[in-house]
Amino acid sequence: MSTETEIIPNNDLELVTRTQGGDPSAFDQLVVRYSPRLYGLIYHMTSNHEDTNDLLQDVFSKAYRSICSFRGKSSFYTWMHSIAVNMTINFLKKRNRRQHPSLNDPDCNIENDPDFIAATSNGNVDPTKQVTIHELQKKLNAAMMKLSHDHRIVVTMFDIQGMPHAEIAKILKISEGTVRSRLFYAHRQLQNSLHEFKRN
Amino acid sequence: MSHEPMHRVIRLKRYERPPEGYFDDFLRDFHRRQRAELLKPSLRTLLLERLTSILSEFHVPTMAFAGAAAVALIASIAIISHPGQSQSPRAYAASYQQTPVTIPKMQPVSLRVDPQPQRSASLFPPAYMLNARPANHESPLSF
Repeated sequence: MSTETEIIPNNDLELVTRTQGGDPSAFDQLVVRYSPRLYGLIYHMTSNHEDTNDLLQDVFSKAYRSICSFRGKSSFYTWMHSIAVNMTINFLKKRNRRQHPSLNDPDCNIENDPDFIAATSNGNVDPTKQVTIHELQKKLNAAMMKLSHDHRIVVTMFDIQGMPHAEIAKILKISEGTVRSRLFYAHRQLQNSLHEFKRN
Repeated sequence: MSHEPMHRVIRLKRYERPPEGYFDDFLRDFHRRQRAELLKPSLRTLLLERLTSILSEFHVPTMAFAGAAAVALIASIAIISHPGQSQSPRAYAASYQQTPVTIPKMQPVSLRVDPQPQRSASLFPPAYMLNARPANHESPLSF
């Protein structure tokens, strides 16, 4: 299982130390490094590009303001993800029932993805059919939105971002057993939601 | 129950990406926002500004602020340097010796109105007393 972006924790610490010493360009490098990954984390929780953009800006602002309090007890990676998760969950609690999903166009490479082909057909349906792509995307997002925040975050981190159970447990400050249990129930719920699509 | 097929389907969501060039603009937006935050006045600054504008309406001379500050400083130093002289209310209450309060025997007061108040005055006519020593207008030394 591969991750979306390679993270180099040792180099992170050096950049953090430079930022703490008053070098803002070091923090810029951390922003460049972490923004794609944190974008994915927040986006799959909110399903809205504008909300994700605002939240991501807030997450980096907060990290920059409180970087002096970072003592290196955990990795910077864990620390950044904890800030992002907490701020996103707080935002979702405030947003409550106001849901405005703004689905972005999926990358064109999805058409060649074997999992996509398997999910949308029995092997003989044209995978370039955009309607099917969007339909699957809509169904997936709708199914994700039905999950509770706690379940959605573990699904995002494990299934989409490919993070190991131990890392998720550290970020969410829960046990690995709880991570597995939440994943089990989330998968079961998603399976029920997507069952109809799979049959059609 | 295996969730591997579900895991593979969910992973398709990783293809949902922001618009092209989004991350190039993101850092620029972040810098712009940071500058805006720096320019945004804090609550403390706003309060100070409001206070200054209110005081300026009263046309208080500038030196009055310095004088008031100096007086406040001297007063606070005096209070701090003589802590023994000022007692807290509790200590003062404890040091205060309680003396029993004696209430003198009260006379009953009649609210009845005397119908002839002049009568009592006639029983005791006013007496006028002149100076005890006789006035002597003569010079004490007569030649």
